[in-house]
Amino acid sequence: MTDKRARNEHIKEASRQLRGTIAEGLADQATGAIAEDDQQLVKFHGTYLQDDRDLRGERARKKLEKAYSFMIRVRIPGGVVTPAQWLALDAIAGNYANGTLRLTTRQTFQFHGVIKSNMRATMQAIDAALLDTIAACGDVNRNVLATSNPHLSPAHESALELARSLSTHLLPRTGAYREIWLDGERIAGPDGEAAGEEEPLYGRHYLPRKFKTVVAVPPDNDVDIFAHDLGFIAIVENGEVCGWNVTVGGGMGMTHGEPDTFPRTADVMGFCTPSQAVDVAEKVLTVQRDWGNREIRKRARLKYTIEDRGLDAFRAEVERRLGYALSPPRAFDFARTGDHLGWQKGPDGRFHLGLFVENGRIADRPGHGLRTAMREIAEIHKGELICTANQNVIVAGVSARAKKRIDAILAANGILVATSSGLRRNSMACVALPTCGLALAESERYLPSLVTRLEALLDRHGLREDEIVIRMTGCPNGCARPYLAEIGLVGRGPGTYNLYLGAAFDGSRLSKLHAEDVHEAEIVSLLDPLFGRYALERTDGERFGDFVIRAGVVAPTLSGRTFHDDIRLAGRR
Amino acid sequence: MTALAPIPSTAPFSAAEIGLLNSVVARSSPEQRAWLSGFLAGLSAGTPAAQAAPLAPPRKRTPLTILYASESGNAESLALAARKSAAKLGFDARVLDMAEADPAALQKAGRLLVFAATWGEGDPPQRAADFYTALMAGDAPRLDGLHFSVLALGDSAYVNFCETGRRIDARLAELGGVRVAERIDLDLDFAKAAAAWTTATLETLRPAEDAASTVVHVNFHADAEPAGETAPAFSAESPLEAEITELVNLSGTGSSRETWHVELRTDAPGFTYQPGDAIAVIPENDPELVAAVIEAARVTPDAGLLAHLETSADITTLSRPLAERYGRIAGREDVARLAADAASFQAFAADRQLLDLFKTYPATLMGSDLRELLRPLPHRLYSVASSAAAHEGETHLLVGAVRWHAHGLDRKGVASTFLADRRRKGDSLKLFVKPNRHFRLPADPARPVVMIGAGTGVALRGFVAEREAMGATGHNWLVFGERNFTHDFLYQLEWQEHLASGTLARLDVAFSRDQPEKIYVQHRLWQHRDQLLGWIGDGAHIYVCGDEKGMARDVDDTLARILAEQAKGDAEAGRAALKALAKAGRYQRDVY
Repeated sequence: MTDKRARNEHIKEASRQLRGTIAEGLADQATGAIAEDDQQLVKFHGTYLQDDRDLRGERARKKLEKAYSFMIRVRIPGGVVTPAQWLALDAIAGNYANGTLRLTTRQTFQFHGVIKSNMRATMQAIDAALLDTIAACGDVNRNVLATSNPHLSPAHESALELARSLSTHLLPRTGAYREIWLDGERIAGPDGEAAGEEEPLYGRHYLPRKFKTVVAVPPDNDVDIFAHDLGFIAIVENGEVCGWNVTVGGGMGMTHGEPDTFPRTADVMGFCTPSQAVDVAEKVLTVQRDWGNREIRKRARLKYTIEDRGLDAFRAEVERRLGYALSPPRAFDFARTGDHLGWQKGPDGRFHLGLFVENGRIADRPGHGLRTAMREIAEIHKGELICTANQNVIVAGVSARAKKRIDAILAANGILVATSSGLRRNSMACVALPTCGLALAESERYLPSLVTRLEALLDRHGLREDEIVIRMTGCPNGCARPYLAEIGLVGRGPGTYNLYLGAAFDGSRLSKLHAEDVHEAEIVSLLDPLFGRYALERTDGERFGDFVIRAGVVAPTLSGRTFHDDIRLAGRR
Repeated sequence: MTALAPIPSTAPFSAAEIGLLNSVVARSSPEQRAWLSGFLAGLSAGTPAAQAAPLAPPRKRTPLTILYASESGNAESLALAARKSAAKLGFDARVLDMAEADPAALQKAGRLLVFAATWGEGDPPQRAADFYTALMAGDAPRLDGLHFSVLALGDSAYVNFCETGRRIDARLAELGGVRVAERIDLDLDFAKAAAAWTTATLETLRPAEDAASTVVHVNFHADAEPAGETAPAFSAESPLEAEITELVNLSGTGSSRETWHVELRTDAPGFTYQPGDAIAVIPENDPELVAAVIEAARVTPDAGLLAHLETSADITTLSRPLAERYGRIAGREDVARLAADAASFQAFAADRQLLDLFKTYPATLMGSDLRELLRPLPHRLYSVASSAAAHEGETHLLVGAVRWHAHGLDRKGVASTFLADRRRKGDSLKLFVKPNRHFRLPADPARPVVMIGAGTGVALRGFVAEREAMGATGHNWLVFGERNFTHDFLYQLEWQEHLASGTLARLDVAFSRDQPEKIYVQHRLWQHRDQLLGWIGDGAHIYVCGDEKGMARDVDDTLARILAEQAKGDAEAGRAALKALAKAGRYQRDVY
């Protein structure tokens, strides 16, 4: 019988629980890279090997290998850090990374540009800040999201607690992380069948693919719950969480030209009590571990398992493993995705600042000293700092006095609390070029200027303050969740994008392809008349994503498997 | 007549034949011997014996010691040339390298000719430092009655011009020596003046009776060069015009450096070099700077002057002698006063150039004034970065482009930016080889080799390539240092190949600016000192190439510290052990 398993399955199996030859690779000073198989394994440790793609052209002639460096992603369940941790991470960015902190759509920080010789020092500095990077990437349960501000209600606090419990419970148990990055001690690690014993939950092969878990508290869908493998929706009674609706099978990634890959919104599978939630999560994860597709990685996410086996069969297996049945889901109502930006007064009388961070990049630029401002805030701040799932930051738990000081710091560094438009407030791009190896087109470096151009159209149609969600990614894998944006742009090649329209503002409905391989001028000329019609023809409170469906511009996408159906491409202009 | 034995026992004859020859020669008259020598010379040259001119050697050959202190090899070549001339004049001349000599050796020398170079800011050449220190020390031997004369070499671009020669000259007199001819201080264009001074001084050193004789001497030692170092086919006067076949800035975008890899086609017959040699590059001046100088000097240029300034004159160096001349030519009292006072001149000249002098103290010059003012454009030396065995017909250089900003002007290194900015692939470059016999791979290919190079010091690539081409079995260890791993890892892909093939047994790197704390090559040496001592124990030769102040000095200290620790001794013990390695030729440096 031939072994049809995907290559990564063999790598995991032979890795002695994620050890591989990573330690040997780190010791090799001649190259900034590590062995190919180890490149897959380090993801489980929260880091990717990348290279500066802007420089690829010149390197060989200069007798240099690719400009390799690592991206390191921190694990921060719920995105909450202390000011001291912020300062530690800021120092790491300056000492070892490219001088910036990158907030991601998984409520955490990424460092870019860490070269191999600094990897251990960086990991140790993260450890010293009482943080780690375990399972921030890889075929495991990734950083768990929670609705952004635990101070808004007891339910919000419960959401953060659940996120932390889930993250801890579903964490890989291998000693490889500590050995390789922290102790520096080379321990052989278990081999063969014995290896699995180190990982009671994951075994030798971990999951077939990444696994993303979130916790939401309606009416805010700031975590985009339908975009994730596993989700918990707080059901609140008398101000407390009485239980959670469980969602399964959401996911964004697809591959251009392969219609059996598609983004999918999660299904609501049932309801569990607060004490059952962690157990339910474990069983969902183990069913996916055992049922997931290990032959075709592109079809290995939980969403395809559920498509292929059916939600009922999946629920039955989860319930069989739980030993009890889930209750029917309770009613819930989401109003919107995105974050509450600006100052907000919490029920405890303290203030919270939702600060827009364009594409999550915390950097100092001329006239815009965001990194400095955040560092200065962290130096005086007594509350918490929270990364949101939309790449923004919340300065939480601020006294009235401190609020003035924070405003002064922001002003002194040229940071405006107000953003230039409703579109920009709801814009989000993935990192893409130059560091992401998957990017087909620009994203983070390009979206701000495109938004500026679109703002001119919005002005013309009187829509500047209207909230319209626009998201861009450099490839179809969907890190910035573009298929749940009212305007989605997905990279196809240098300067060209697929334009998707018609997703729901509350994150419950996917978008539909509207135009293929369009560049900026075409994007502008396609959107201009739609903005014009929207301004004139919308009904009261009608969202742009709903309007384009009612207006017949695109057909609604009612489920992931019909994402590629009913496509009527706009004529080229 | 006493029993003379002119034919030494080492002559290539049997003892019986030597006795027979001596019995004839010892009793011969000078005329007979002259005839015989001419006859024999003619015989081996295949010319009729009768045409050999009757010649005669001096009655008694006068011993002469020619002592040199050389850094780049100029003083050494002058010393060797002087020996030739001295032999012609009948001296029994021997050449001594200060690196291998002791001042006590001068006590019985009788006659002494010194060729002393000055290095950098007034220091003796590195290898001559011990001799120099001993000579200057309070317990230096008396040299009463020693007839001496000193030729000092220097570079007027530096303040303490010819300092080493000056101080040796003074010290020899202090110790009782008799100065027979005044010292001469020569700049980079020393060749003609040095030859004239040598001839004149040798005449002065000649004993009266020799000088009076009209005997013409035959030079039997025309090939008396050190073995293996034949006179090069190309020189400053007749350089090779080599085609540039590759010219690439190895420093990646984002680097704070600009380091050019230059490949040259040097397959001309007679062009040879060895790894460790330097390549002298004859640059041209930046036409923009030429224009600026002409404007500042208010000269009406003609084509001849322009060409002269571009290709032949040093238009950057601001030296005191130049300022003196300028003060005189321009008739500016203030400049004359500035040049007269060492301290104020030094303060003005710091990071300033000729153009600044003209701009600060303007005057209107004639073209001829400008020509008179400027010294010839000197060549620049670069350590060869290739191996003739590995890179057949090619010569590679590694050139750091020098650019800086000072006193409101952008400045450029003359030769490095000539290459970086104004040469392209296919253009030619004038060059010649400056052999460096003090930087040579071990003759025994089984010896391990440790190479320590920072920045352009990684021209040591030539050594690695040579060892590979020669199939040397000794292990090779490279320790390389620069600023940033990502952009400054010079020749990274080649080192990866050498590691894969086993040519490099080991590579250690130190990138100073990749992390908050500075890491340099010496830190790696200290970190891996156990292994290093193992290599030294196995007979390794250690080579250091690169910047003196920025690297080599610290490496030297660290090596001494490592050896001291091994000897469980103090710093002095480490120094002594390192010196012993140097004496044995196992610690060699090419630093600049």
